[in-house]
Amino acid sequence: MKRYFLRRFLYTFPTLFGVSLVLFFIFNGIGGDPAYQLAGKNASLEQIENLRQQLGTHQSLLHQYKDFLWQTVTLDWGQSWYFKENINSMLLKGLGPSLALTVPSFFFTLLLALSVALSFSYFRSEKSHSLLTWFCLSLMSVSFLTFIIVFQYLFAFKWGLFPINGWSQDFPFVLSFLLLPWFISIIVSVGPDILIYRTLFQEEINKDYVKTAQAKGLLTTQILYKHILKNSMLPILSLLLSRIPQLLLGSLLLESFFGIPGLGGIMIQALQNADFPMVKAITMMSSLVYILLNLLADLLFLLFDPRVELK
Amino acid sequence: MIQKLFLFFLLFMNLCCTSQKAKVDDTVVLFLDANIPHLDPIHSTNKYSSTVISNIFEGLYHYHYLKRPITLEPSLAEGEPQISPDGKTYTIQLKKGVFFQDDPAFPNGKGRELKAEDFIYSWRRLADPMNKAMGWWVLDGLIVGLNEWRNDLRAGKANYQTPIKGLSAPHSHTLVIQLTRPSFQFLHFLAMPVTMVVAQEVVEKYGQEIANHPIGTGPYRLEHWDRNSEVRLIKNKNFREVFYPSEGSAEDEKRGLLSHKGQRLPLSEKITVKVITERQPLWLSFLKGQVDHGVVPTDNFDQVFENNQLKKEFVDKGIRVLEQYRPDVTMIAFNMEHPLLGKNKKLRLAFAHALNSDLILEKFYNRRGIVAQGPLPPLLDGYDPDYKNNLDFNLEKARQLLKEAGYPDGKDLPVFDFELSNNATWSRQMGELLKDLWGQVGIQIRLVINTWPQFDQKLKNKQATLFEMAWSADYPDSENFLQLFYSKNVSPGSNNSNFINRDYDQLYEKALQLPPSPERTLLYKKMVDFINNEVPTLFLVHRIYRLPYHSWLENYNEHPIIYDFYRYLKVNTQIKEKNWSQL
Repeated sequence: MKRYFLRRFLYTFPTLFGVSLVLFFIFNGIGGDPAYQLAGKNASLEQIENLRQQLGTHQSLLHQYKDFLWQTVTLDWGQSWYFKENINSMLLKGLGPSLALTVPSFFFTLLLALSVALSFSYFRSEKSHSLLTWFCLSLMSVSFLTFIIVFQYLFAFKWGLFPINGWSQDFPFVLSFLLLPWFISIIVSVGPDILIYRTLFQEEINKDYVKTAQAKGLLTTQILYKHILKNSMLPILSLLLSRIPQLLLGSLLLESFFGIPGLGGIMIQALQNADFPMVKAITMMSSLVYILLNLLADLLFLLFDPRVELK
Repeated sequence: MIQKLFLFFLLFMNLCCTSQKAKVDDTVVLFLDANIPHLDPIHSTNKYSSTVISNIFEGLYHYHYLKRPITLEPSLAEGEPQISPDGKTYTIQLKKGVFFQDDPAFPNGKGRELKAEDFIYSWRRLADPMNKAMGWWVLDGLIVGLNEWRNDLRAGKANYQTPIKGLSAPHSHTLVIQLTRPSFQFLHFLAMPVTMVVAQEVVEKYGQEIANHPIGTGPYRLEHWDRNSEVRLIKNKNFREVFYPSEGSAEDEKRGLLSHKGQRLPLSEKITVKVITERQPLWLSFLKGQVDHGVVPTDNFDQVFENNQLKKEFVDKGIRVLEQYRPDVTMIAFNMEHPLLGKNKKLRLAFAHALNSDLILEKFYNRRGIVAQGPLPPLLDGYDPDYKNNLDFNLEKARQLLKEAGYPDGKDLPVFDFELSNNATWSRQMGELLKDLWGQVGIQIRLVINTWPQFDQKLKNKQATLFEMAWSADYPDSENFLQLFYSKNVSPGSNNSNFINRDYDQLYEKALQLPPSPERTLLYKKMVDFINNEVPTLFLVHRIYRLPYHSWLENYNEHPIIYDFYRYLKVNTQIKEKNWSQL
């Protein structure tokens, strides 16, 4: 097993290398010349050339790429071209609000979707299934933006239950700014999740061991949580782990409508202003997290299913 | 368990509702509709950084809050500069008893007194190539020896102690500046955020993080900054005695803008600036009284205004509207280096006569603006409200010109790429309208959607053929608009239409030599005529600000060039308490 993990860990490097290569060429291909952006509106050719020298963009692409790789290895991204601030410190500051926005709603959604899907799968009736499908599809057919606009108008403006917009460093006061974005995030994500989980649970419920457990007289809760849920966990885990990198980046729409100072807004501004060091840092860090989580997923597979063998 | 959950839910709801019952206090709550990238004066070329910076830092001069046309007055300077007869040497006395805000960077944490050397240091920072200052263009080539020092610094042959011939401080409060040429715009440059003064100790203490540690001499200091969310400013206790202006027009008097005349500034202890980038939350926050001023979203315009007047229901809630011309112009530019468009004036004229600016004003600006007849916006020297160019919307004329240009009904005319600066719906719809308008006479365009960096690169590389653009005044002098057509400013400079004309250059250079005078005004008008005759650019609209605000916000008179207006604002808590219940 150790060898397996060592090998998987070593795979991280070529994957990151591939990501860096794609990112580098996309940015250099369509990102525009950052010297033009940074030189301001009345710059001369000489100033632009000088700026290129300072940014290092006058050097060959190979040389620039080598510098980029070195930054990735050392995790030292330097100063943002646009924000004029140390990138690592900005990422650390933005990570908190992003995670505060995404992590609780992620777990609430998970809990809600699992409970609903499990209950409806076990206590099945055609009517309830149609109702659930209809409900989930309704949620899925409304766009994220519509939910934000309507809920912000109704819950925050019309009924005054939540603040319209804002952020606070004080706990628990900050919760008042997060409740509505969490609620919207849950409403948007829960529909598809319920449908996926329900399908997975239904497959399990039809298996013989469930009938045996029922015949043995096991409690419904035991059957649900000890057997069905555990045996369905593998695909659920892969799905959940693949979503974690998105949690780090927050949600651009929610952040901009609710004034949450997370990483989503920083990323968009960096892209709009050709701030290559910031884009590199965020992309490479998310890729790294994604790869490591995949590794973690393999480990968790072992825990949940003893039949899995790692070769 | 369910009971506990219910109690927990109630606690949460109580928390939420408590936050809604914001206390009626005297904090002024303003907004910015885009994020503030940094708070370092040398990079402050955008409105958002400039606004906050100008209330923390100060320059030698600033603009009078009420006088129109906009008028310069001393800020950190003691009075008017002494200017040598050749117009090249400025001697400026600094006010005494001006202190930087307290900060650990200073001995014992107490802000020290401002000296003339601080300005020299600040402008060295602006010139230092390592700082990559976006505002360098302001002093580029203007001060004797500064460009040479910049080059030497880059080559490692100079440092911050190396003297610069054109910048000296013979006494602690006397600054002498030698210019390479007379410049009647120079005093405006000294009012711009990029030339505001910083303290060397602070820059050295915070190093790369200086953009987050603004320490100036201004009326406010930074208390807290959540990037992309909120800036909180508190009164600078070291701020010297400065008073609310006592001069203003009868209209100002009527609007109550002189009710605090002679009172010490700043009028408010605290300012909160919320960063709200989306129109809906901004509008809803305004209607709830959570921000003191706002913007009416284009989609809500008809709900708020009737016959261009604020509807009664809003007036009854104590909402008022500030209406002001923006010193700007929106344009469509031709790249004059394009082999066809640059050489065929009749073709450009055909474009001009097929353009319905009035329709654009109606469809895209809710008639909040006026159709531009040239580059100069209202209130600037040389703008004549009665002036009409000869480029009226006339499809027959456009067809005739197209025929005379050698392309009857657009036959054999290539399809031109029209470059859009972004992917916003607004921009694309504007492109579609232009496509239809020009298509009526046989001119075909293809819309090319760009990201801003791509668009900027195309302009600066002279790769764009036909493109949209807008220009807002950096300073209130028509020269700032007329330089857009000066041959020495061709791309990557600001002359993005790459218009080169020796006669125009001569007029421009002559105007530069003149102080504000009827002679210069006449030259400005001639230049406008010249541009309209050569049509390197088609002018669309001068926009009008229509900013709603709550009547409890006193002295609100926001202007796109005057950034340091926070000091004049005050919340009338009695009115706020009264109006609050109606919101």
